[in-house]
Formats: sequence, structure tokens, C-alpha cells
Amino acid sequence: MSDIFFLVLRRLRAPLILLVTVYAIATLGMTLIPGVTPDGEPYRMNFFHAFYFVSFMGTTIGFGEIPYPFTDAQRAWVTVFIYLSVISWLYAIGTLLSLLQDTTFRHAIAQRTFRLSINRIDRPFYIICGYGETGMLVNRGLTSLGLQTVIIDYNPERTSSLELENLPVMPITLNADTTEPQNLVAAGINHPRCCGVLALTEKDHTNLQIAVSAKLMSNRVPVICRSEIEDEAENMASFGTNHIINPYRTFARRLSLLVHKPALHKVHNWFLNQHSREHQSERELPKGRWIICGYGRLGRAIHEQLGRDGIEMVLVDPNPDKHDASEPIIEGRGTEADTLQEAGISEASVIIASSKDDANNLSILITARQLNPDIYTIGRVSKEANQPLFVRTGCDYIMRRSQVVANESLTIISRPLVSRFLRLSNSISTEETEHLIERIENLTRHHSPITTRVTLNRDDAPALSRHLHLGGSLTVGQVSQHPFFPRGDGIVLLIQRGNDSTLLPDDDTHLEEHDDVLFCGKRNKLLLVQHLRDNHELVDSLINQNPHQIPLLRWWRRRHNALADGISD
Amino acid sequence: MNFEKVVFAFFIILALSLNFGFFIGDMENPAHHDPHELFAALVVSLICTILKFGDRTHFGSTVLATSLVALLQLIAAAIVWYFASRSGAGVDAAEMARITSMAGGALVANLLSVILLVIETSQIRK
Repeated sequence: MSDIFFLVLRRLRAPLILLVTVYAIATLGMTLIPGVTPDGEPYRMNFFHAFYFVSFMGTTIGFGEIPYPFTDAQRAWVTVFIYLSVISWLYAIGTLLSLLQDTTFRHAIAQRTFRLSINRIDRPFYIICGYGETGMLVNRGLTSLGLQTVIIDYNPERTSSLELENLPVMPITLNADTTEPQNLVAAGINHPRCCGVLALTEKDHTNLQIAVSAKLMSNRVPVICRSEIEDEAENMASFGTNHIINPYRTFARRLSLLVHKPALHKVHNWFLNQHSREHQSERELPKGRWIICGYGRLGRAIHEQLGRDGIEMVLVDPNPDKHDASEPIIEGRGTEADTLQEAGISEASVIIASSKDDANNLSILITARQLNPDIYTIGRVSKEANQPLFVRTGCDYIMRRSQVVANESLTIISRPLVSRFLRLSNSISTEETEHLIERIENLTRHHSPITTRVTLNRDDAPALSRHLHLGGSLTVGQVSQHPFFPRGDGIVLLIQRGNDSTLLPDDDTHLEEHDDVLFCGKRNKLLLVQHLRDNHELVDSLINQNPHQIPLLRWWRRRHNALADGISD
Repeated sequence: MNFEKVVFAFFIILALSLNFGFFIGDMENPAHHDPHELFAALVVSLICTILKFGDRTHFGSTVLATSLVALLQLIAAAIVWYFASRSGAGVDAAEMARITSMAGGALVANLLSVILLVIETSQIRK
């Protein structure tokens, strides 16, 4: 506050001094110039009357000459000072208006409002550094979960688009250099409600700087970093960055999963991409030789990952000499038919267009389809805006860098149980996975499911935890479906009890107090457990099978029991 | 030589000397205290206060505070004068003493302001 106040005062110094001087001289003159009363007596104004007259003379000419009509000398003096006072007022008001337009002043105001809104945050929030395509997706995901976000980006043009988005929670934005530690502090990294910092800028080094300063400023706050270069990633890991997301490696791992366990890949896809779905066709991935066009970071990551899996690959790159690949690289961009034929397009089963250039990638995919109509195509999109073009070419699997990072970080942040489930899901057998897919598809009728986490404690599920606390029993089957709520059917994916996780428990498994349970169910439908968790009546009638009591009596009895147990609701 | 500093020092010292000029004389004798001098002291004090706006150093804030004190006392004195002279019979001895003592209070504040200015100046290395 004082910053702005003093800035205004400093800028207004000159006009204010001019105003005071003009008023002082005019007032003094009015007291010195002799006047005459209507009776012809000589008369002099005192300071009070003079000041009163001068005050309205400057602003509203036309109150009349008081207390008595003026002499000519007085009128001459007033005439001069009418002009002088109007000019000095105009000067003062003009300066004030130009100050309001001033960038320094606006900056000071913006910083003040930012600081105030950070101080006023009363719920958990995340700091997003860098509002590009990735930042936008992450922000959308976080706000749709009702979380507050604070966005720092250097470019005001990027953050101004936020106002056009219809977000359930309006993010707080700061246009400042993300690498400066003071901006992280201003964004509230030391705020007790700060839950994490996401470094999502395009430059690895910037993300590294953000991670270092975030870790030094506040060791408590977890940091999630996007990184595309190995060296920087190792550097980040060395000082305890909590999660490092490399979109290329992540995507390569997903491809490897698609090759080995397509069913599990589908499950991963559902649970990982709950905010924005990946584009993937229904076709199955054929077995056979792969062609990788573009041996850049993505190409290398895929080559490395799939090489371990023993898949035969042909590499195509315009500058083969620059790379030290273990296998020979065919020279060419892959956009021409010759190069693709040299790579053996007619016998290949999968082609990946993994170069940086969207136009080249599109051209590769179209040419490949012409030469081999059955080929499975995987394309990399660099600019989000080009994604519809890739869909139009009939690309089977589209890799969007920003989406990979966004979905990965959203899962880490907002759904720790889901990421645990995905980590453990490698141990599930193929039959079990297929059975799970069948169950989920029957449940959601081929739409993608969403996950819900319920913790059986007093805050999250008071009714259920009370039931358990009083010694009642509760099984997985009882909370996952009931004929009363046909749309609330859910599947229990994971029970987390202390450090033990139970994957896909069967219906007879007993739940205990303080269990963390991960459900999956239909999108936009309340699950049975969500009805049950704070509804004591419902728990009584569905689980305790006491449906015939009058509700009021039941309430009174429960209250009575609670008092007897010494537990208050 | 910095013109801005000259103006700044000029107004601070002028405020003190005008204030002193008004204050000096018999406390209760209206003939010893000229209303125009009080007016001048008031206006110069006002200009001094405006000149001190926006200096965020420690020195700046203290000097601004002394100036505000002087201004308040002088405004109070002027208001008392107005009410005392409303009857038209002129200011009596008791009222005059009240006005003068207020101006005396302002004088102390102005004096402090000048002392601060001198200290500040003496700290500048040659």
C-alpha cells in the first residue's frame, strides 16, 4: 500500500506545490486589498473569508462576490487568479491521470493486488511456472479439481488468454521472470497452503533454476519438473527434485507397454488421461518392423526403449553423421518415397514420425500411408493447433508432448493412489487385466471411467468411519454396488492400508478404518460410496439392514448411542 | 551544487525562521504577532511537507513526520485565531497566549527538522 501511496505523492509533488502557491498568493492578496462595505466604510477580508472565497473561485466561478460587492482592484486580482488556479488544477488533474496510465504505476498496482490475493488464499494451491501449452493443460486439470493455481509467466499475452477460459477457479497470475527466486516467494512458496511447484517452461535450464530455487526456499514443498535433456534431469535429481517428467521417455515407455501388454496400456490410458484423452485408434498394434523417422530426442528415447524389448527398427534421419547410433541410419527426412522405400516401407508394420517439424511429420505419415495402406502410424505433434491435421490424416496414435507432461504431472499431484495403482499394475496378469477392462467397459458402456478416492476417516467419510469405529463390518462389495443406486456402481481398484496395497480386492474383502480406497466409476455420476460416506441413515439401512425405523427415532437412537460411547458427531 | 537540494533546504529553513518570527515577542500581546506571518509560516510549512513526500529513506520519513507535526500545530493556531477574532473586537490576551504557544510547539518541530537536515548534510563525505 505504502509503495503506491508514496509513488502517487512523489509524482504529484510539483502540481501540489503549484496549487499551494497559487492559493496562498491569492488568499494573501484578498486580505491585503482594501474593500468597501455598502455603507462606504473601508473593509478588509480576514484570512478565513479570503480562503473561503479563493477556494470556490478556483473550482466553481460564480458564487458571487461576498460578503460585499468587490472594488475594481479586488476584481482585477480575482481575474488573474481565476486563470492561474484553473491552470494549476488542470495541471494537477492531468498529472494524476497520466500517472494512472503509467506502466510503473500499473506495475505497482498489479504487484499489490497479486500480493494481496496470495495472502488471501485459504485453500491448497499449486504454483505453475510457465504458461505454455503444457501449463495450460495442467492448469485446466487442477482448476477442474477445484484447486487454486498461481501462474508465473514472463509473457503477459499468454496469461491474458486465461480470462477467456471458463475456469471454475480463477488462477492468480504474475507476469514476471520465473527464474528469479523473489518471484517464487511472492507467489507464495512459503505459504502454509502451498502444495507444490510445477516447473513447466520449455527450457530445461529454466526448469532447473526454478527447481533449485524452490528447493532452497522451501524444502517442504514438492517440486515437479519437466525435462527433456538427460544431463539436466540428472542435475535436477541430484538435489532432490521430487518428480522429473521427460515426455519422450514417458511416451517411449507407453509405447513399450503398448507392444507388450496392450490391455494394460488401455487401462493406463484411461486412468492417466482423465483430463484430456489421447488420440488413439481402435486398431491393434501389428507385430513386425518399425521405421523411426527423425532420430532426435523422441526418436532416440523410443529406439532405446524398444531396442531393449528386441524390436527390429530402421532409423531415418536427415543428418545421420551427427548421431552416434549403434545402427546405420538412412539419410533423408522420410518425406520422400525413395527414402521410405529404402527403409523398407512395404514390409514394415509401424512408422513413427518423430521429427520436430509438424509439416514434415504430416508429409511422412501421408507418404507412408500411400506406399503401405496397412501401416500403423504414430505421429508427434509439436504445436497443439496442428493436432486436427494429424487426426485428419488418419494417424493411429498421436503423441502430444504437452499432453504427456500434463497428464503425468496431474496424476502425480492429484491422484497419488492412481499413480500407485499404475505402478503396481505391471504385476497383474493379462487375463486379469482383460477381465478388469471387461468389467469397466460393462460399467461405463465404453466410455472412459474416472477415479475417486475415499479415505475411511472422520473427515472424508464420517458415516462409514463411525460405522467401522463402532465395530461394524464393511466389505468391498457393500460399498461398490447396491440395487438402490444402479448408476452408482463402482469398482474398487486399490486398498491402501498403511504401507500395504491390495490391488483389485474381491467383494468379500473387509475394509478397516483409515483405509484409503480407490474407486473407478462412470463419469459425472455419484458413486454409491459417495452417497454413503456422510449419510448415517443410508449406512444404517443399506449396511446395517435397519430399514424399518422412523428416521427421527433412528436419529435419536444414534445420538443416544453416540453420547453413551462418548463420541460426538 | 544541486538546485533541488537548495530549494529543499531553503524551504525547511524558511519555515523555521518564519515560525520563529511569529513566535518571538510578548506571548499575550497581539501587537507582537502578525497574522500574515502566521499565514506565511503555514503556507511554507505546507510546501515543505509536499517537498518531503515520497522519500522512503529513514531520514526522509522522520523529516516528513516533523513537518506534519509543525503543520498540524500551525493549522490549529490559525483555527483558534479565526474563532478568537470572530467577535470583531480583536484577539484578547488569553487567546493570543494560546495561539503563540501552539506556534511555539510548531517551532520545536521545525527546529528538529533543521537539525536533522544539518546532521544529514554533515554525514555526506567530502
